[in-house]
Amino acid sequence: MSRIFVTGMGVISAAGNNVAANRNSLMQGKSGIASAEFLSTKYASILPFGEVKISTQALKEKLKAQDHGITRTSLLALHAFEEAIHNSGLTNAELNSFDTALIGADTVGGMCLTDELYHDANKHEQGSEYISSYDCGSVNMYLQSRFKIKGIINTINTACSSSANAIMYGARLIHHGFAKRSIVGGCDSLAKFTINGFNALHILSDEPCRPFDENRKGLNLGEGAAFLVLEKEEDVANKHVYAELTGYCNSNDAFHPSSLSENGDGPYLAMKGALEIANISADEIDFINAHGTGTENNDEVESKAIIRLFGKPPPFSSTKATTGHTLGAAGAIEAVYSILSIYNGEVYAGINFSNPIPNVGLVPVSKYQKMDLQHVMSNSFGFGGNCSSLIFSKA
Amino acid sequence: MFYFHHITCISPQKTFADIDIENIKPPVENKLLVAEPVYDGIPLGILRRMGKAVRIGVGAALKIAKQNPNGVVIGTANGGMEDCIKFLNQIIEYDEGILTPTNFVQSTTNAVAAQIGLMSVNKGYNCTHVHRGLAFENAMTDVDMLLKENSSHSYLLGGVDEISAYNYNIELLGGWYKKEKIAGVDLYDQNSAGSIAGEGAAMFWASNNEQNAIAKLQAVRMFHSEDENLIADELKKFIEENYLEEESVLFFSGENGDSRLQKYYSASEEIINKDFTVARFKHVTGEYPSVSAMAVWLACYILKEQILPDHFLKYSSSKKDFSKILIYNNYKGIQHSFILISRK
Amino acid sequence: MEREELKTQLKKQIVEFLNLMQVKPEDIKDDEPLFGEGLGLDSIDSIELIVLLNREYGIDIKDPKEGRKVLIDINTMVDYIEAHRTK
Repeated sequence: MSRIFVTGMGVISAAGNNVAANRNSLMQGKSGIASAEFLSTKYASILPFGEVKISTQALKEKLKAQDHGITRTSLLALHAFEEAIHNSGLTNAELNSFDTALIGADTVGGMCLTDELYHDANKHEQGSEYISSYDCGSVNMYLQSRFKIKGIINTINTACSSSANAIMYGARLIHHGFAKRSIVGGCDSLAKFTINGFNALHILSDEPCRPFDENRKGLNLGEGAAFLVLEKEEDVANKHVYAELTGYCNSNDAFHPSSLSENGDGPYLAMKGALEIANISADEIDFINAHGTGTENNDEVESKAIIRLFGKPPPFSSTKATTGHTLGAAGAIEAVYSILSIYNGEVYAGINFSNPIPNVGLVPVSKYQKMDLQHVMSNSFGFGGNCSSLIFSKA
Repeated sequence: MFYFHHITCISPQKTFADIDIENIKPPVENKLLVAEPVYDGIPLGILRRMGKAVRIGVGAALKIAKQNPNGVVIGTANGGMEDCIKFLNQIIEYDEGILTPTNFVQSTTNAVAAQIGLMSVNKGYNCTHVHRGLAFENAMTDVDMLLKENSSHSYLLGGVDEISAYNYNIELLGGWYKKEKIAGVDLYDQNSAGSIAGEGAAMFWASNNEQNAIAKLQAVRMFHSEDENLIADELKKFIEENYLEEESVLFFSGENGDSRLQKYYSASEEIINKDFTVARFKHVTGEYPSVSAMAVWLACYILKEQILPDHFLKYSSSKKDFSKILIYNNYKGIQHSFILISRK
Repeated sequence: MEREELKTQLKKQIVEFLNLMQVKPEDIKDDEPLFGEGLGLDSIDSIELIVLLNREYGIDIKDPKEGRKVLIDINTMVDYIEAHRTK
């Protein structure tokens, strides 16, 4: 089987508008979580959010994307997508070719426009300009029309693990010869819909989130997008290569619609399966970018599953205290962070941590530090028991 | 690609129990709503929380899920739309106050696959493809790759979407449903924009095992384009690649009565062998993003039973004995797929 | 409102709110546990019941742990409603 290399990356999040800015925040341990400035919700000043620090209007102008019905979710995706394709040096001919696949993921689509959707779904009058922009597929339909992409296009929604699955699907399309290259990633924007949904489940923290801390109070929602360009080893020629995607696995926890089982079977099986695909043993993993949302349930179960698989776990941290939980974008954003770690030989701190969870006792990396890394695992677990793990390796 | 074994379908027609595709239920107010069965297999404590998409998806999947497939792969554009909008309405009506979480949990598009995994305690691969009119085609491609990666495995593959009052309204405002009342096959004679709404869930047990299979998925091709000439070129290639010239092929057209999309179907009919029989199915299914799943179910059933009731026919050839069915579907003039099903 | 009348009303509200298709309101016993054995409700139902208390009786329970003390059976719920209702 061909090796699959990452030849381009793009990211936008509360931690910065591009790859360099995100890395800078991570190195400085600077969190992007604060009161929301652009978001319209009752909770804007009550709860902290990982908001991208640029207004929807400014994004439209910057990206020259004044299209009818375009949403913030699509704009964030476009921003990261353009950075990734430029970074990889993809030509227009490559973008338009039948063998270029676009695999994206998101969970809210255009539902960030909660009030407009309410109007369009309930009233029998003229529809708004957003009438065809609400579904998850709308983001990739926009990228398709803007860049005239003709190859396989897909949108995946497995809740908080969506974009990890998009990366996995894109890589498999290359392995099976359905695509020569895949542009893979995910996005989501802050939305009244998800804010109120997570709030109704009582898992939003009113303080900046504290992954893996004994006194964690829940998660902070964030927004953002990230894309990777995946290409086969034999096709990259003299292109710059950031890392190799060596392992991936998707497993289901099959326990509860919105929380993980006590033993963490789903997380355990996903991590274990990814090791098998990468054909490495657990002790070869040098670092884990954990899912670590800061909820009572996730962090304890993820810790237990890590201990179950690794015995003595490798260094790990969760970057969600930096970006917030970006849902459909999280797997892709954290894939970029994992790759940056490998490429630059460094690991980023899990900030806001003070005390370990009593019965598991795991302590995340608390300071930025240099570390030579061969293999990094990135975890993404979602509602519906959808658990996925990816492994990136030094190319 | 792979073989279909157990197949099930909950649809507006009699496709679940006492199957009858001869006598067709007409649309009511341009909607073909599913005829829901009694769900014996779903405990009431779980059923009470399910919205329609989850109910029909799980209801259709349960028998197959009991065969212990190695994973669950679902295509659905919208998942639980009804719950999604119920939750949205709560947000607005209670001004982001204290809200009930059930609608939110059920509204996530992955709720169908997740609930199937949960109820059958399936800890294997679990994925939900949501790319509108190609959600099910991507799910099929996913299963194809899974079966190449693990040749002895089997997977539960399905497509499901629902009509709720809300997404009906959104699609109506978007101009995708006809304003004049449709009674059935007159759907194709209106020369007006829009189609009729449909919904349904079709589920398949897929594996590489040829023995006792119902039918075989031979090939899937999907792409995005608004150029009818490109569709014609791609169809030509697809026919050549799959050696369909000599075969007794039924061309199963996704024609949906929308005058704006007719050019794609006309261009595709120009390409196919003039000896092919041409049949249509949207008067039976209605239009919805994952309708190709029900088209595949119908194709499997037609091949297995070797019956093709007259109401499906557009042009009939002398041949009655079909060995292959070529489905061409098109969603909103931009998402296209060719699916080839054969008697094994 | 009389206590018995309140109980009858609450049982009807619970059945409707949680869509308990198999349960008749009058079959719920006053001291039957709502969770686990008894009615077999789960953690999401407990959040739903807190919302019910808010919408129907104007009671605001912020801490889910407080909720656990209230949502034991019909008797404990009615006690709490009588003491804390604002509508």
